[in-house]
Parts: sequence; C-alpha cells; structure tokens
Amino acid sequence: MAVIGAFCVSVNKEICVNARMSGKCATCAEVCPHGVYSLDPDSGHMEVVNYNACVGCRICAEFCPTNAIRINPAEPEYISRYPWTLAAVEEVHYKAQTGEYLLRGFGTHGQTPNFDMITVVPSQIASQAPRDKYREECDMEVVIGEDTCEKPMRLKVPFVWAAMSFGALSKEAKMALAIGAAMTGIATNTGEGGVLPEEIYLSRGYTDPEMTRKRFDPGGNLIIQWSTGRWGVSVDYVNSGDAVEVKIGQGAKPGMGGHLLGAKVTDDVALVRGIPKGSDALSPCRYYDVQDMGDMKNMVAFLRDVTNYQYPILFKLGPSRPYADVAACIEAGADAISIDGLVGGTGCSPDIVTQGVGIPTIACIPPAVQALKDYGVHHKVKLIALGGIRNGLDAFKAMAMGADAVGFGSAAEVAMGCRVCYACQKGNCPYGITSHKPELRARLDPVDAGQRLANFIHACAEEIKILTMLSGHSRTVDLSTEDLRAMDLNTAALTGLKLAGYERQLPMWEALQNGNK
Amino acid sequence: MKTINGKTKDLRSLNGTLRETLNGHPVQVENVDHLHGLGAGLKHGQLSVKGGAGDYLGALNAGADISVEGDVGKYLADNMTGGTLVVNGNAGYGAAQYCYGGTVVIRGNAGDFTATMNKGATIVVCGDVGDEAGTYMLKGDLVILGNAGKNFANYLIRGSVFIGGECESQGHNTKPEPVSEEDIVRLHAVFEAHNISADPASLKKLVAASEKPFYH
Repeated sequence: MAVIGAFCVSVNKEICVNARMSGKCATCAEVCPHGVYSLDPDSGHMEVVNYNACVGCRICAEFCPTNAIRINPAEPEYISRYPWTLAAVEEVHYKAQTGEYLLRGFGTHGQTPNFDMITVVPSQIASQAPRDKYREECDMEVVIGEDTCEKPMRLKVPFVWAAMSFGALSKEAKMALAIGAAMTGIATNTGEGGVLPEEIYLSRGYTDPEMTRKRFDPGGNLIIQWSTGRWGVSVDYVNSGDAVEVKIGQGAKPGMGGHLLGAKVTDDVALVRGIPKGSDALSPCRYYDVQDMGDMKNMVAFLRDVTNYQYPILFKLGPSRPYADVAACIEAGADAISIDGLVGGTGCSPDIVTQGVGIPTIACIPPAVQALKDYGVHHKVKLIALGGIRNGLDAFKAMAMGADAVGFGSAAEVAMGCRVCYACQKGNCPYGITSHKPELRARLDPVDAGQRLANFIHACAEEIKILTMLSGHSRTVDLSTEDLRAMDLNTAALTGLKLAGYERQLPMWEALQNGNK
Repeated sequence: MKTINGKTKDLRSLNGTLRETLNGHPVQVENVDHLHGLGAGLKHGQLSVKGGAGDYLGALNAGADISVEGDVGKYLADNMTGGTLVVNGNAGYGAAQYCYGGTVVIRGNAGDFTATMNKGATIVVCGDVGDEAGTYMLKGDLVILGNAGKNFANYLIRGSVFIGGECESQGHNTKPEPVSEEDIVRLHAVFEAHNISADPASLKKLVAASEKPFYH
C-alpha cells in the first residue's frame, strides 16, 4: 500500500478555485483514490487531510482546472514508485497518444557504472616520491601517427573535442570548438556533418581563410571525420585537416547512424552536407562500401593514398565488444582508436538507445587496452577514451587505466553554457549551441565561448598535472593501473583494478591476465 | 598514349605516377586487377584501363575521365564528386555509392547495392542491377536500362530514378511519375555523350512519395 510520507502535496491557494470561492470546486477530492483531500460539507473548504496516503499518482494535479497542485517526492521515486516512476508512466502515455517512440538529445541519465568509485593512489614513502606540481614539469603531450605518416598530429595536452557535427551543433558552436582547440593546442573534429570553412582556419588559430593572420596561439588540429553518411565528403574535404577519422560508431547510439531531423537541416546545413533542405539526415548504420576486413584495409589504404600519406588515420568506435573491435581497428591500420562509452551524448537519438545500449566507459577501457597490449602496440597506437568524461579527475583515471588521451563532448557543450536539458534535438537551445535559429545563435559568441573552452581545458590539464605528479610521475605516459584502486566490488569486477583494502585484483582478473602472459 | 604495366606495382607507386603524368596527357594502364583504389582522388586527366580493374576504382574521383575496357570489382567510383567513369564490362557489388556529382556509365550489369545514397551524380547502368539499388537517394539521376532486383530505390528522398525493364519489387517511399520533357532532354544528352542507344521517353520514372518518410 501507500508508503507513509513519501510525497509532499502542495496546493497553491492563490490560484486554487476552492480557496477563493469555497464549495465551487472539489475536483481533487473527487478524483483522489486514497482520500488525501477532503471537502468539509458545511464550510465548503477543501483541505489536504491525509498527505501520508498520497501515492504520487498525480491524478489530482492532472484534473485540477487551474493547475494549482504540486506533488513532489519526499524520497526518490526510484524507491517508492519503482518500476512505475513518473517517467515510466509518462513514457507509456506518450506512446499511447502518438504511436511513436521518444527521441531526445544528450547522453545517458541515471546511475550507471562510472569513474566515481575509483580512487587515485598517491605516492608516499614506499613508492617513487611524488613530484612537485608547482615547481617541476609534467610532460603530457600526445603524438598520433609518429611512425606511419609524414605529419603526425601533436596534442599539447591529452585532450580532444569529441566529434559533434555541424547540424547537431550550430555554426557558432563549431567555431568556438575550433578556437578552443587552437588556444590549447588540442584537436577539434568535424563530426559527420561536413566541414565548415571557418573550422579549417580557426582550428589552426587563424582568422582568415588564407591563414595569414594568426590570433589564437599555439594553434590546434582539425580531425576530418569519414562517416557512414559521407555528408559533404570529397577529396578536398578529406585533405582539409590534420587527420582523418573513420567513424564506425558512437557512444550514444551504437549500432545506428547519426540522426539529424529535418527541422535542423537549414539552408546552411543542407549546403555543407549536400542534401535537400528540411530532409531528415539519417546516416546509415554501417558502411555500404565495406563488407569485410579486406575491404576495410583497402579503404584505409586509399584514404592514406588520397591524403598523400601525410596524415594519421584514426578510428572511432562505439561501445560494443571492445577487445574484438579494437583488434579489428589495429588490423585495419589505425594510428589511434577512440572508444566512446555508454554515457556519450548526441544531438538526437531514440531514448531507449541512449539509455539502454552500450557498455560503460570504465568497462570499455580495460579490454581495449588488453587488445593493444596483445598486439604489442599499447601507447604506439593511441587510445582515446570518451563517454561522460567530466573533468581532469575522470580523465586521469581513464589514462591510468591505459588511455593515451580523453575526449570531451558533453563537457565541452556545458563549458559553452549548456545546462543539460536533454532536448538538443528540438533545435531550441537557449544558449545557441544546438539551435539554428538566428535569435538563439546570436547568444553564442564564438570567441567568448572559445575562451571558455580553452579555460576548461587549461583547468583540466592542471588537474591532470596535479594527479600525475602526486602519484609519482612526471609523464602521463608512465601512468598505470597501479595508480588506481577500486573502492567497491562492482568497480573492481568491471575494471580489473586492484580493490582497496584487498590490495589485489579480484581473482578472476588475476587469472585472466596471467592466462594472457 | 603512354601505357603503364601495373603488374608489379603497388597502389602507392602507381597512383603517384598517375597523379604526375595525368597533368600532361592521357594515360593507359593494364594488369591492374590486383590494385584496389586505383585512380583515387584524381582531379583531372584521362585514364583508360586495359582489361579489368579491382575494387574502389576511381574512389573520390573529383574530375578525371576514367574508362575501363573490362569488368571492375566492388565499389566503383566510391564517393565520386566529379568527372566521368565509364565501364565497358560489368561492375561488382556497391557500384557508384555516395556520389555527389559526375557521371558513371556501366555498359554491362551491376550488382547489389548499386548507387546507394546518390547525392547528385548521374548514374547509368545499361544492363541489369541486383537488389537494393538506389537506396536512400537524395539527389541526381539513376538510370537502369535493364531490370532491377528487390527493394528498388528504397527510401528515395529526392532525385529521379528511371528503369527500362522491370524491378522485382519497389522500395519504400517511391511512386511512379511520367517522364517529363526536361528529363528527356537531359537524359538524351547523357546517352548521346556516351553512345548509349536508348529512348528516354520509353523509361519508367520513380520519384519520392514523401520528402520526409522517416519522422514527421
């Protein structure tokens, strides 16, 4: 039966009809199945007499003619109403009314296994002494493609912006990301929406297409994405950056292609993507021009060929079977592999896919690293971890688990002003980040937002420096799983990290890794 | 015309040679079936292939005129943005996918998944095509003078699809429309330019039933 005291029932007496004219309305009392409300037959006043009986169904709120009733959980609905929380109920109502499934933007919400139950092990007396963050140096540069191309890509700090397309994002947001990359020496990514001319020169730090006036030092890198939709792709497109990324999947909707609904395919977006204005740009889920590993290798070969062997080739994976997927990318000839975990966001995706499909980032990294080690290419073929990385602490943990760098996608949007309303697909972003409406885009100044992004990167780089040095290292490449401990059994089981207190890996992980030797 | 024997060459050296020599004059190559991605990303020039070619011939072609005497492998003219690609023989799986512009002519037959996601090219197959031809086409002209297999022109969004023979089944979101005067003039020019004897007026035309078939 009803859980005692689980809900707070508030009636706004200023708009409640009965409060202003007693006896005129008793709707709440009539519809409530549990007797929370009562109408005094003599005075005509309606009172909340038994709030303990409220089960949070909110039928009263729905029927109230002036919307005067507010029901708030006194304890999380997850406890008192699970599995029929308000969210589950509303979802069924929506489907019953429309016959459609929910589409939304951003990433997974709700608790999923994450970095929080991992802790960093500081150096002490029994290990290598800590380094001094304030007075000593920390080397955190990452180089991609050192042995395979003419112009390896250098990241001054171990971060990249995740691939977010023009279309999902506004032009101003893409420009801001380019400027942010230029100001910090990292890389921005075209995403699958084609390349904006501004991205080409802004990402390198210039304010003119001819790249003569440099304003944003030290200048960054532009990763050109080759994806399943091939929006805006040509030989010139592929050659307009510093690297080419072959996109296989993404964290938010692994197994599906990019979604950009017609409402956001404006003239500009249509022009860059080369498609009709207003049409839904639904990228295919796979490459129609690759059927097997042989085809994939041939594709990488001609991509290297048309870029004259200048640039590194990266691969981007969604979270599926990380060991096997990473192994396939290594075989295909990748110089770096990005793996985007469950929590990764998107501009638009079916809700069930964002919520329900994929492997948490912390569980993707260990098998990916194992594959790299088994092929003898760990730290040579670089691993970039993405999917819900929020700060330098999460990034450090990912890197100590074996990643060479991390990507910020959702965090980059929040740095630009986003407050996570999960409605990117509507195109009404009040910060101008994921909207194409001119009045909303006017609120996002690319230079200001670029500065905010650079600020965020600087702060996170300092955080990485602090953690790297206090754990006894002066180079991020020296980080290892020994610098971390899991704080609960779940995390130890998912990641293979040593469990705090026990000071060893769980037995099955020890056996697994010994078996691999 | 200069003929290069590709028998012992790898992709890197042969494509490199082509990029240098095609500046001046037409080039012919032979014994290149083992190379995949031949002539990728060329911006100009005339390349003819004696015999057959492998997979990904002319991928990302941006303006060269490439012709092939025999058959080609899979993924002919992948993501082409300009130029012409003419194959006298047959094309394998996935010919002319993701193309933005230019003209592809296959005088023989083509396989399954021909002309996927055409975004503005003119693609002509004089023979038959397999299943799933013309999937998710967004712009351009696709002409099949022979027959097509299952799910023809599936989820057509814009552009025009013409067929001379029959298709085993029509894909989602397609509807027939009469061939217009403009179509006849346009296709006639393409047929004449490539010595294709066909009458545009005798073809059946399919267009998109709705521009927004996925979400409303």
